[in-house]
Amino acid sequence: MTLWIAFSILTVLAALAVLVPLARSGRDEAAVAALHDAEVYKAQLAEVDRDLDRGLISPEAAQAARTEIARRLIAADREARQTGSQTGEAGKAAAVARLRLVQGLALALVPLGAVAAYLAFGSPDMPDQPLAARLEMPADGRSLPELVARVERHLADNPGDGRGWDVLAPVYMRMGRAEDAAAAYAAAIRLLGSDPRRETDRGEALVVANNGIVSAEARAAFERAVKLEAGAVKPRFFLALALTQEDRRDEAVAAWRALLADARGGEAWAEAARLELAKLGVETAETAAAPAAPGPSREQIEAASEMAESDRQEMIRSMVDGLDRRLAEDGGSMEDWMRLMRALDVLGERDRLREVIARAGEALKDDPAAVAGVRQLARELGEGS
Amino acid sequence: MIIEIGHFALILAFVLSALQSVVPVWGAVTGDRRLMAVAPPVAGMMFLLVGIAFAALTQAYMVSDFSVVNVVENSHSAKPDLYKITGVWGNHEGSLLLWVLILVLFGALVAAFGRNIPMELKAATLGVQGWVTAAFLLFMLATSNPFLRASPAPIEGNDLNPILQDVGLAIHPPLLYVGYVGFSIVFSFAIAALILGRVDAAWARWVRPWTLLAWMFLTLGIAMGSYWAYYELGWGGYWFWDPVENASFMPWLAGTALLHSAIVMEKRGALKVWTVLLAILTFSLSLLGTFLVRSGVLTSVHAFATDPARGTFILGILVVFIGGSLALYAWRAPMLKQGGLFAPVSREGALVLNNLLLTVATAAVLIGTLYPLLLEVLTDEKISVGPPFFNLTFGPLMIPLLLAMPFGPFLAWKRGDLAAVGQRLYAVAGLALLAMLVTAWMEGAEKILAALGVGLAAWVICGAAAEILSRARFRDVGLSTGLARLAGLPGSAWGTALGHAGIGLTLLGIVAVSAFQEEKVLTIRPGESVEISHYSLAFAGLARRTGPNYVDDVGHFDIYRGGVKVAVADPAKRLYTARRMPTTEAGIVTFGLLSQVYVSIGEVHADGGADIRLYYKPLVTLIWIGCLVMSFGAVLSLFDRRLRVGAPKPAARKMVAAGQGAE
Repeated sequence: MTLWIAFSILTVLAALAVLVPLARSGRDEAAVAALHDAEVYKAQLAEVDRDLDRGLISPEAAQAARTEIARRLIAADREARQTGSQTGEAGKAAAVARLRLVQGLALALVPLGAVAAYLAFGSPDMPDQPLAARLEMPADGRSLPELVARVERHLADNPGDGRGWDVLAPVYMRMGRAEDAAAAYAAAIRLLGSDPRRETDRGEALVVANNGIVSAEARAAFERAVKLEAGAVKPRFFLALALTQEDRRDEAVAAWRALLADARGGEAWAEAARLELAKLGVETAETAAAPAAPGPSREQIEAASEMAESDRQEMIRSMVDGLDRRLAEDGGSMEDWMRLMRALDVLGERDRLREVIARAGEALKDDPAAVAGVRQLARELGEGS
Repeated sequence: MIIEIGHFALILAFVLSALQSVVPVWGAVTGDRRLMAVAPPVAGMMFLLVGIAFAALTQAYMVSDFSVVNVVENSHSAKPDLYKITGVWGNHEGSLLLWVLILVLFGALVAAFGRNIPMELKAATLGVQGWVTAAFLLFMLATSNPFLRASPAPIEGNDLNPILQDVGLAIHPPLLYVGYVGFSIVFSFAIAALILGRVDAAWARWVRPWTLLAWMFLTLGIAMGSYWAYYELGWGGYWFWDPVENASFMPWLAGTALLHSAIVMEKRGALKVWTVLLAILTFSLSLLGTFLVRSGVLTSVHAFATDPARGTFILGILVVFIGGSLALYAWRAPMLKQGGLFAPVSREGALVLNNLLLTVATAAVLIGTLYPLLLEVLTDEKISVGPPFFNLTFGPLMIPLLLAMPFGPFLAWKRGDLAAVGQRLYAVAGLALLAMLVTAWMEGAEKILAALGVGLAAWVICGAAAEILSRARFRDVGLSTGLARLAGLPGSAWGTALGHAGIGLTLLGIVAVSAFQEEKVLTIRPGESVEISHYSLAFAGLARRTGPNYVDDVGHFDIYRGGVKVAVADPAKRLYTARRMPTTEAGIVTFGLLSQVYVSIGEVHADGGADIRLYYKPLVTLIWIGCLVMSFGAVLSLFDRRLRVGAPKPAARKMVAAGQGAE
C-alpha cells in the first residue's frame, strides 16, 4: 500500500511539472529573439569599456571593437522591429487547442503510461531483501544456503569460534563444498584440538576435494586419527585406499585384510573393501558369492564420470531405454515412473516425456495417490495440465 | 520497496522524456510560450526521477540486496563498501543509468542556469535533450533494465569483475561520461539552432562554456583511464590505441576543435555554420563511442558487454541521431546567416588551421578504429590496427599543429602579421633549439628523433609561457606593474596558456618514455638484486596477504641508490576468490615527482622466485600532469564569466603583411 502511495506522489509531481507551467498566463512580453541579441550586444559594449579601463586592450582596438558591435546591434534592432508581434486572433484559437491537447496528454499519458509500463516490467509484490536483514531473520523456515551464509558471517566476525567451524564443516560436506569443509575442519582442529573424528572427516573432505585421490595431507590426517584411536575403521579404510592408489600391492592387500578382519558382516564399507581386494586380484569367499549389485555398479559410475559428455549422455540414454522397456513390459511403482520422467527431462526429450506421463497415468490409474504424485512432478517439469 | 520506487521513477522519467521531446519543440516552432515554459520544470523533474532511480540502485548495492538481478551479477557481500558503490556503474545496466543521470543533469543545469537564453532556444534545446533521454531510457527499459528482480533471491552474488575493483577505474567512468554526455547539450543547442533556423548571439555565448566543461571532464577521464591501464594491466603502457580508448579520444579531438571554433564564433561571430556541424559531429562521436563500448562489437580488455539485441538497439539510436542530425544540417544550414570576414593570416585563420588538422586527425583515428570492424563484417577476417598505423597517420598531423600552436595566440583578430609574431617568438625558438641540442649531446646522435621531440615540446611550452609574459608587458611597464598585470589577466588568457603548455608537458612525457625508458624482464629469487638505471632493487621474497575478497602474493623490493635505501616497492599478484580471477598490482615508486620505477610480478615459482618486469620510466608522470594542467586551464577559462569580445586589429594600414602568409 505504501508503495502505491509513493507511486502516486511521484506521478502527481511529474504531472504537475507539465501542468503548472501550462496554467501560467501566456501573455508575457513579446518573444522576439532578436531582442535578446540586442541585449547581448549591449552587454558586450559595456564589456569593451571595462576591458579598456583595466588596460587589457588598447584604445584603438577598443574603438574598432565598438564599431563592429554597434554594426551588429543596429542589424539586430532592425530585425526585431521587422518581426514584431504577428500573433493575431486566429493564432489564439490554435494556441488554446494546443494547450488543451497538451494538458490532456499530461493528465492521461503520465499516470496511465507509467503504471502500464510498470505493471509490465515491475515486481510490486517483492519487498527489498537486504542481506543483513535476511540473515537476522528467525532460523526456522530459512533455506540451508541462508543458514550457512549466516554462520559464515558469524565466523567471519568471530574466527575463534571453534564450535562454529565444527558445526559448519559437515554441512559444507553435504552441500558438496568439500574444499570449504576441509578448511572448516582444519580450523576446528586448530581451535578445539585434534580428535579422531575431526581428523578423519577432514581427511575425507580432502579426498573428496581431490576427486578421490588420497593426498599426502589427507594421509597424514588419517594417520593421526589412527594414532589416537587404533581400532577406528574409517581412517584405516582410507589408508588402505592410499596404499592401493600408490600401487603398493602387498601392503595394500595386508591392510584390506586387516580391515576385513574387523568386519561383522553386512557393513557397506566391508563390501567396498572386498571389491578393492578383488581389483587387486585377491578373491575372498564373500566376493565370489556376492550378488551382482542392482543398477549401475560403482565401476560404471566411475566410468561415467570419466567419460566425455557425449559418451555419458549415451550411457544415460541406454539406461533410460532399459528402464523404459522394463516399465512397459512389467509395469513398476510410482517411484520408477518418476525416475524415468526426471531422466527424460534431463535429456531434454520433451515429446517422449509427455508420452511417458500419459503412460504412467494409465499404468497407475488404480492408485489415485500415485497418479497425483506423477501429475505434481509433471507440473514441476513444465508439462502440467 | 525502495527498489520498486526506483524502478517506477525510471519509467516515469521515460514518460516525461517522451512529453519533453514533443511539447517544448512544438511550442518553439509555433511561438507558443506556454508550451515552451514546460521545458525547464520537466527537465528538473526528470533529473529528480532518474536521481531517485540511481539512489535506489545504489542502496540495493550497499545493502547487498540479492533480490535484484543486477546486484547478484555484479556484487558480493564481502566486497569493500567503496566498490559496492562503484559497482553500480561497473556493469552495463548501471553504467547506462549513470549515463542517463548525467544526461538529465545537464538538462537540469541548462534549465536552472540558462535564464538569459532566449526562450525558443532554451525550449528547443531541452526538447532535443529530451529526444536523447527518451531514446536511452527506452533502450534501458527494453533491453538493459537494472531493476529486474530475482526470486528466490540467491544468498551471495557473483562479485564485480576484479579488474574493475580499483579506485582508478571507479572514478574513470563518471568523469568520462560527464565528458561524453556533456557534449550532448552542445549538440542539443546546435539542433535547436537548426530547427529555429537562426544562430542567436546568445547561442554563441552558451556553446563555449558547455563545451569547455565537457572537454575538461573528458580530458580528466581519458587521463584517468590511461593511468589505470598503466598501473593495473601490468606492462607499463599508458596508451594502446585500443578501440575503446579511441572511442573516447575521437570526441576529445573533435571537442578540442569545437572549443576553438566556438571561440571564433563567440568573439567574432564567424564560423557559425561550421561550429554547428562540429557540435553535431562531436556528440555523434560520443554516441559512437558509447555504441562501441556498450554493444560488445569489440573484443578487447575493456569490452565486457556482449548481447546482440543490445548492439542492434544502440546501432539504431546511432543511425537515427547521427543520420537525422546530419540530414537536418544539410537541409537547414544553408538558411543560417554567415558571420564576419577575416584575412587568412589572423587569429581566426590560425583557429581554422587548428580545426582542419584536428578534424583530419579525428578522421584518421576513426578509420583506424572502424576499418577492422568493417573488414570483419565484410570478409570475416579479423585484423587489428595497431600503433604503427596511428603513428604514421596521427603523428604527422600533430607536428604542424604543434609547430603552429605558439603562433595562434599572438596573432591579432581579423588580420594578423605573421612576420611580427615570428620576431616575438625568436627567443622561444632559441630555447627549443637549445633543448634539442642538449638532448642530442646527452643522449647521442642516434636518438635524433627524441631530440626533435624534446625540442618540439619545449617550443610549445615556452611558446605558451611567452604569450602570457608578453601580455604582462614586463619590458614596457617594469617588474611590479608587470606582475600586477599578470595577475589581472583574464582567466581565458591563462586558460589558453595552460591548455597549450599542458599539451607540451604531455608530449615531453611521451617522448621521454618512448626514447629513454629502460626495461628488464627476468626471473628473480629471494636475496638477489637487479640494477636498472641508477637504482638497484633487492628482492626480499614473497608473502601471502589476505584482503577482504582476495588473496595477494606480495613481493617485497628494497630500492637502493648509491648504496642508500631510498624506497620500497610491493608489487602483488592478486587472486579474487569469488571469480577465481588473477590481477596484477604493479609496484610503482616515483622519484623527484616525474620519473618512476615500475615493477610487476608475473609467474611465481615453487622455490620462492618470481618472473618480474622491471622498468625505469623517466618523466613518465608528465603525461598525466600535462592533462591535469590542461584541465586546470579549462577551469580558469570557465570561471572567466566576462562577455567575450575579440577586438579586431584596426584596418587603418591596409593589411600590409597579411594575405600572403606562410600557412
